[in-house]
Amino acid sequence: MVFLRSEEHVTRWLAAGGWEPGVTLTAPKLNELARTWWWTRLDPGWRPRTAAESQALLDALGLTGDFWQLA
Amino acid sequence: MDAFDLDVRRHVYFAVVASGRPPSVSEAASALRASEEEVAHAYRRLHDAHALVLFPGTTEIWMANPFCFAPTPHRVEAGGRIWTGTCCWDALGIPGALHGDGRVESVCACCGEALSLVVADGALTEGADLLAHILVPARRWWEDIGFT
Repeated sequence: MVFLRSEEHVTRWLAAGGWEPGVTLTAPKLNELARTWWWTRLDPGWRPRTAAESQALLDALGLTGDFWQLA
Repeated sequence: MDAFDLDVRRHVYFAVVASGRPPSVSEAASALRASEEEVAHAYRRLHDAHALVLFPGTTEIWMANPFCFAPTPHRVEAGGRIWTGTCCWDALGIPGALHGDGRVESVCACCGEALSLVVADGALTEGADLLAHILVPARRWWEDIGFT
């Protein structure tokens, strides 16, 4: 998971690595995802999320479709 | 995940936030008044449960996500410390985990140009025009968590 300056740089980077495209997110969307995903990580009563809970978190952010399926 | 493993994990994260680095097995054992063998086993179980990541073949902590303890291109200022994020997701996750503001210094994976992102009050106030790319579908992230 990497940062890139623009769509042009995404395309050039994928070609240079010979990789199939995955998913491109805007930085604000990634920030929203990162904040939500890691928000409880330091809670003293932290418990591991179930796969269903993690999937629901992604769904709530609109990150749906086969790429975002955790299992 | 049993109560002892949760205690070990809680101690690891407490130590990371307090000192900026993860505890060794010996340090955690001393703090938790447990044997090194018990803590080493707990570290391995937490690794297997994806609650920590150990350097391959060791009981040294590589990641207590979103915090990373090996060099990466993602430098994060948050909570009064300098941190390393494993990837762009984790880099932005560090201010989130600390419930505060932060600055991420990184590079464009294509051209190597330096990039800055600033999080203030939860929103990106700098770097909002940048993009992130995830290559690996979610169900395969844990096949190689160092390459996603």
